[in-house]
Amino acid sequence: MNRYRNFPTDVSKHNKSGVKESVRKKSMFKTDDSGHTNQVSVVLDGRKVDLPGDASIAAGLLGQGELISRISPASGKACAPHCLMGVCCECMMEIDGIRQRACMTRPARDMVINRHLDKGRENRQKEDPHGPSL
Amino acid sequence: MGRHYDVVVIGAGPAGMSAAALLAEMGTQVLVLDEQARAGGQIYRNIKDAGPERQGIYGGDYREGLAVAKHFYASGPAYENKAVVWQVDPEGRICYSKDNQSTRIRANYIIAATGAMERPVPIPGWTLPGVMGAGAANNLSKDAGLTPSGRVVLAGSGPLLVLEAALLAKKGVSIAAILETGPAHPPARAVPKLPKALLRWDFLQKGLFMLRDIKQSGAPHYKGVTGLKALGSAQLSRVEAMAGDKSLGFDADLLLLHFGVIPNTHIFRHMGCHMEWDTLQQYWYPACDAWGRTNFERVFAAGDGSGVRGGPAARYKGQLAALEIARCLGMITRDERDSLAGPVQKALVHDGLPRPFVDAMYAPVPGALSFADDTVLCRCENVTVGDVRKAVSEGVRDLNEIKIVTRSGMGPCQGRMCGPALAAVVGAELSLAPEKTGLLSVRPPLVPVPMAEVAAMDLGDEDASAGNWLLDKK
Amino acid sequence: MKTADVVIIGGGITGSAVGLGLVRSGAGKVIILDAQLSSQRLSRGNFGLTWFMCKGAGYPGYAMWSRRAAVEWPEFAGRLEQDTGYDIELEWTGGAVHAFGREEWEGHAESVNALGKVCEGAGLDYPVQMLDRDAFAGLMPDIRLGEEVSGGMYTPDQGHVNPLKLLAAVRCGFQEKGGVYYADRMAREIVPKPGGSVEIRTGHETFQCKQLVIAAGHGSARLTGQLGEKLHIFPQRGQLMVTERCPKVLDVPLLCVRQTCDGSFLVGLSTENTALDTRVRPEAMKSQAMNAIRVFPMLGRVNWVRAWGAVRVMTPDGGPVYSRVAGHDNIRVLALHSGVSLAPLHAGPIASWILGEYEDEQIPEFSNGRFQA
Repeated sequence: MNRYRNFPTDVSKHNKSGVKESVRKKSMFKTDDSGHTNQVSVVLDGRKVDLPGDASIAAGLLGQGELISRISPASGKACAPHCLMGVCCECMMEIDGIRQRACMTRPARDMVINRHLDKGRENRQKEDPHGPSL
Repeated sequence: MGRHYDVVVIGAGPAGMSAAALLAEMGTQVLVLDEQARAGGQIYRNIKDAGPERQGIYGGDYREGLAVAKHFYASGPAYENKAVVWQVDPEGRICYSKDNQSTRIRANYIIAATGAMERPVPIPGWTLPGVMGAGAANNLSKDAGLTPSGRVVLAGSGPLLVLEAALLAKKGVSIAAILETGPAHPPARAVPKLPKALLRWDFLQKGLFMLRDIKQSGAPHYKGVTGLKALGSAQLSRVEAMAGDKSLGFDADLLLLHFGVIPNTHIFRHMGCHMEWDTLQQYWYPACDAWGRTNFERVFAAGDGSGVRGGPAARYKGQLAALEIARCLGMITRDERDSLAGPVQKALVHDGLPRPFVDAMYAPVPGALSFADDTVLCRCENVTVGDVRKAVSEGVRDLNEIKIVTRSGMGPCQGRMCGPALAAVVGAELSLAPEKTGLLSVRPPLVPVPMAEVAAMDLGDEDASAGNWLLDKK
Repeated sequence: MKTADVVIIGGGITGSAVGLGLVRSGAGKVIILDAQLSSQRLSRGNFGLTWFMCKGAGYPGYAMWSRRAAVEWPEFAGRLEQDTGYDIELEWTGGAVHAFGREEWEGHAESVNALGKVCEGAGLDYPVQMLDRDAFAGLMPDIRLGEEVSGGMYTPDQGHVNPLKLLAAVRCGFQEKGGVYYADRMAREIVPKPGGSVEIRTGHETFQCKQLVIAAGHGSARLTGQLGEKLHIFPQRGQLMVTERCPKVLDVPLLCVRQTCDGSFLVGLSTENTALDTRVRPEAMKSQAMNAIRVFPMLGRVNWVRAWGAVRVMTPDGGPVYSRVAGHDNIRVLALHSGVSLAPLHAGPIASWILGEYEDEQIPEFSNGRFQA
């Protein structure tokens, strides 16, 4: 009865980079203002990205067309921010090694944000056993 | 030496800011713990940074917030932003996290002004990316100046749905449809409340302007809608519903759901406060006296968290709680308290005149929403309505037992998003009113805290009263 | 008036397991009365270990009883899953207790030795070994051990289970075989009748039965008291922390940390005398978190999401109580902690004993009377 539970993931539905291209590129929001003067450089899923410094990470990502916040460990499906006020926890993502609500966190310079969208989460630890996360 | 305050105010919305300002001006040691980056709560979100244009968009209520915020900062209470409270007990011990460090402090009195949330109502497909609360769109606008760029459907009930639709219409957003689940005609119970409401013609006029803005936008607007569904594969692409016999369908990029506002009661339930059920509005709220005092002598509730009444009422209730606490601390006499409270109580009454009418107009109809078995009920743990019904059929009766058996309510949001629907579904199965099914117990921590932070937390000085200043020459 | 062959007061893991055993043995009509009082509900506070290791130091009878239960667990789980379709998530992955430093290791080794001798004396095996750090780390290759861990004790012959699913499955199995379960009946009064039957008065209707079983956790004391017998139990609090879900990296449960099938880590379990107070104290959370991180440093970055306290039913010697109430041959009381570990025996020999079919030779040593000075 020795059972190893696999983390359910919906990876089969996604392309190589894990998330449907159309989901990534289309931006559902546009900015009102002429442009945020306070841009902060962070690392998102391994690539450098600028986010507005005076808005939450969740808002900043939505403004850039990054809709998906995480893969649900319970359903294996892609999730996106829902309440944007710290209640629903759909926007939880790994920020500097610790999972936090992205809608309640502001970006700081060189912050490392990982959404773990591309691989099943059970593979993460084996790849990077010395990394900050599991 | 642990930190010890006269009053700790949790939340910096209108209630929190007003209470703290008054207490600070009275000379008490007051600390405000605000989980947001800036004071303002939800309704006055980001008010300090809002330029005139943004203020103009959100109207007079928002502008009032500017005065409240200015007063708050000027009165100089201790204020910690990004401070998330994760455990409170009614004896006044509070654990909170800020900058990845957790501390326990003590308060002689606590004002919990943690506000409200949108009533979470499951519909098929509501967990799809692209489905958000209407308040979410409002927050994105105030916080980050974001406006939806695609086709938006707004669905649900309540005056704020209409308000949000009007705001988006004014900004030129492409509104594919407004789908109201409320009745097509004003319910009979609202009519007797109208005369009183007319005393606040300013309030009603705002409502009429909102409706005008919506009409001018040309967005299809339906009432008495049923069978709401969000459809899509990786994200939302379409919204369907029924209006009577007519099938409706709209291609959409964003679905904004809103079914009214309910108090965010977690902190009260966590402390063990006695809760009461508002039958008309179908929500729980902490039982309080006229000053906002809960069943615990030193714990007060103020603002929308104690009962949804809006921004101005929240300010007044914050002030009333502060006045009573100031009296308890011996800073003012009972007569002085009453004399200062008088105008506030009058203002509260005046502000509340249209409320019975609005509440009656938009009250949720118990049992009006039906839930299909395969609709997700607990988002965090992916528990469906069917899973819950199965548990009930196996003899489970109480919400906490349902939680045990199905895992509903055990995820990171700790039942905030599934609690109300859980009560409705279980109640329907048992032919019980939702409030008779129990109340999900709220365990610490109120929000997730990293283990290392707990391990390193500063527990404060439990016995801060020990010591004699004459003898302790340190 | 509702009649039954057996009424069980208490629908936690013990009452439910006994009920399951009874309906499986054709006991006739069996009713469980469950009140789910908020002060109790201990079955939901169980850590979920199905263990014999470390149990019964200086108490051979309890060591034997625990070992017997562990041996029967896999079959009990298999049958339960087959009958009900519930996956109770039993992982028969052994169990370990870590040591920090040399001294603690020696201490563990001594206790393994001692308990081994106790078991030997009772004609029982005690398949527990001491492992050095490398061997201990070998048990859990996917998670890094803290620097201070010097090794520990280990046995492959036990495991861990989802106690909540277990409770749901046992309750389901009981009802599927004809058992009747009332979720909201509190027994107010027990009235033995002339002629051998017993009446149980609740806030709703009255029940009548031939055999009564009291398995009501802390509520049992009030009920046996009505019958003139003092039940020797007292509350002992345990606080437990649960983390967010993580990829599965730990298969072997430790006494203080285990990872469940869905990926959450459970950390606990304290032992405090706080009467019936089940509140969670930050002090306990802090010390448990510190301890867990000393064992597995990576837990530092994992979020704690939930905690609760539960009060065990503890007896003066830690062993269970299986007793006939003095003067009432057909009224029995069951009082114990570790209801999850012992569940197979409750569905087995305890049910047989209640039915009058067979009295296991160990049952008399667990009478409530043993605590009478």
